[in-house]
Amino acid sequence: MPLKMMTLALAGVALAGATMLTPPAAAQDQKTITGGFDVGPGGFQGNFNPLAATGGFTWLNVYFEPLVNYNADLTAIEGAMATEYAVNPGQTEYTFKLAKETWHDGKPFTSKDVKFTVELAKNGETGTVFAARLGAVSSVETPDERTVVIKLSKPDSGFLATLTKLMILPEHALASFTPKELATSTWWATNPIGTGPFKFKQYVTDQYVELVADEDYRLGRPKADRVINRYFKNTAAAVSALRAGEIQFTYVESDDVPAFKGKNEFKVIEGQSFVVNYLGFNQQVPLWKDVRVRQAVMYAIDRQAIIDSLYGGAATAANCGYVAKQLVPEGLNAYKFDPAKAKALLAEAGWDKVNGTKPITLLTYYNTPQAANVMAAVQAMLAQVGINVVPRVVDTPTYNGMIYAASPDFNQFPLVYAGLQNGPDPSGLNIGLNAAQKPPAGANFLRIEMPEVTQAFDAALAETNQQQLSARYQNVCKAMNANLPWATMWVANRYGVASTKLKDFVWVPAPAGGPYNAHPEKWALEK
Amino acid sequence: MLVALSMLVFVLLRLAPGDPIDAYINPNVAMSQAEMAALRARLGFDQPLPIQYLAWLRAAVTGDLGYSIQKNGVKVLPLVLERVGPTVLLMFLALVIAIVGGIAAGIISAVQRNSATDVGCSVAAFVGISSPPFLTAILGLYVFSVVLRWSPSGGMLTPGTPFSLSDLLSHLVLPACLLSIGHAALIMRYMRASLLEVLNQDYVRTARAKGVKELWVIIKHATRNALLPVVTLIGSSIGMAVGGAIFMESVFNWPGMGLLLVNAVDTRDYPVIMGATLIIGACVILVNILTDVAYALVDPRIRVA
Repeated sequence: MPLKMMTLALAGVALAGATMLTPPAAAQDQKTITGGFDVGPGGFQGNFNPLAATGGFTWLNVYFEPLVNYNADLTAIEGAMATEYAVNPGQTEYTFKLAKETWHDGKPFTSKDVKFTVELAKNGETGTVFAARLGAVSSVETPDERTVVIKLSKPDSGFLATLTKLMILPEHALASFTPKELATSTWWATNPIGTGPFKFKQYVTDQYVELVADEDYRLGRPKADRVINRYFKNTAAAVSALRAGEIQFTYVESDDVPAFKGKNEFKVIEGQSFVVNYLGFNQQVPLWKDVRVRQAVMYAIDRQAIIDSLYGGAATAANCGYVAKQLVPEGLNAYKFDPAKAKALLAEAGWDKVNGTKPITLLTYYNTPQAANVMAAVQAMLAQVGINVVPRVVDTPTYNGMIYAASPDFNQFPLVYAGLQNGPDPSGLNIGLNAAQKPPAGANFLRIEMPEVTQAFDAALAETNQQQLSARYQNVCKAMNANLPWATMWVANRYGVASTKLKDFVWVPAPAGGPYNAHPEKWALEK
Repeated sequence: MLVALSMLVFVLLRLAPGDPIDAYINPNVAMSQAEMAALRARLGFDQPLPIQYLAWLRAAVTGDLGYSIQKNGVKVLPLVLERVGPTVLLMFLALVIAIVGGIAAGIISAVQRNSATDVGCSVAAFVGISSPPFLTAILGLYVFSVVLRWSPSGGMLTPGTPFSLSDLLSHLVLPACLLSIGHAALIMRYMRASLLEVLNQDYVRTARAKGVKELWVIIKHATRNALLPVVTLIGSSIGMAVGGAIFMESVFNWPGMGLLLVNAVDTRDYPVIMGATLIIGACVILVNILTDVAYALVDPRIRVA
């Protein structure tokens, strides 16, 4: 029948037309490594200015380098642009011997670049996030081209950890900018010059960043010709690209891990997040003044059950802010799940009069499906002992806007579910727990004032003997365990997935993306 | 009108919780309020709101919409303008596919009324109309990119490769096809209903009685007349396609206005939100003016009134 034939033909032509419009995508060559290096909580897509970076250090460290850096286990700080360093006994003078290296434009790297960078990082007009962290730096001296001496006005046990995040910048390229101009300069995203194994080629807005090998890198010419950092709106999109074979690496949520485990073409990389998750008690509301109430919260939550069922066992219960063995002393209260004890403690504390079953907002910025399940489990467990929490999930800017407001409404966040970096430098918790860090000085937004905790932190921060440092932080742990400024929950593992074609690839789920010595010059893509 | 729009957007943005600095902070890596205050001061957010607005307006009237806070000083105007092209391209192809596919399926369904083909097309149309863009986008991505690997999973061009038309098309076809589904389904239903009505008209019966070939009756006599309500629908589809494009651009990382705006809202990038809204508003006003002018040209009664 002609009409039927014609209509079928029309449909066929439409279908074929759509299909023919889909030629295979242009293939990348074998020496190009493509990944979602800024996906996940450690990433910072779209930020190119290392002075203003609060994350994304995994990627920044592919073309910029710091003086010193963490090793890939995040257990020790080792040399990067500095081949060696020495510290005086008083911990106030750091002497660095510099590597012989050239910038990506061929100009020599010298001690003047280090001095320039440190001074720039201390200048708030550049939009730096280092100004306060480098506050103890009193002078930077350059006795010769290969030596830098940084003097501090007082010991700072976190100084080297701060230096790991400070990427060294070229004086010859940036000296002509005023500090204010640097804050908004397009130089960072158009033609930045570093000393890393790869040099910047281009940034295609919101799509990808492309780097090419630095032929004369001091540790050898990179094995790959190019490294491309693709941008994704979310982790799910990156996972799709990985499964489609378009990228060779991305961070993945723990829910995605089973889809990759045991598959020959993928390798799952697992590591500790160095972020302790906690229920934070807002001390500006009357609910949590009595330590017995805070203890009841700990006893009421079966943390191990949540870890086993919702994290697949890939988390470590935390009885203080730390889980690293050297920082956790013997004899801590493990707060084993005991709802009866929780109820008894609440009764002793007169919880019925303090709050009873009135709803308490549990605010969080964690918005993954896994976090939703965790919140639901916590809500159910607390409800069993008579604490009625109502989870409220908001996006990160909203969360930060609430907790860091100049005049916060404390009733908006009587209880929070949050996380804070607890390593590799253990002093990271100080800003959220020390009484001296109450806003505006620090980020103790829960207004915690517990003398024992504060004294323990102060002693640890002032410790100049590295051998004693762990013992000092054990005291912090003890104080946290006894006083419970937070109901510490766990330190969860985080995951990345790489193609098995990717060789000698190093990735660690470090907070803010590290940095750490990942040696991108060794990364290679197997045919 | 534009000043009122900009003022409204400015006030709404400031009422929303969180600002660009709040979006900048990784909550796992804390920062002090003093440091945040210094960053705010550098960006001028410590000034009273009227002063902030007037400063923005003063620059905007000279064509300077400021720079993106989250994109290292990139100027807003070129940033927004460069995103118009990709969005138009995506919407244009989606509408072409929707129009061609929808009309073709509508004709087939109407001509073969109550056949298996008609039922199949109708069921497909109902599914298409009922499927929200974010669902079709995610399902399409999974099936065609991850499982079948027929299409790239996102982006506009393969990173690091020179521009080629085939590469662009390979990235464009899947999001465009998925964006077209809802529109094609709607057009198909309208076309089918409209054609069925026309096929019962006397002039169609007359044409058949005169011995005109059936194909010719359908194409020349019936379809042309049945297209009138469909054309009206297509006009309104353009507006709806903008909403769908935002989802598609987010899922497929298509660098258009939608993705730019969603990212800007996520990061509270005030200058980009203000600039993009202003330009979209200007476009809408311009289109409305052009429409009014066109009406006046077409219908003299309007000019008289």
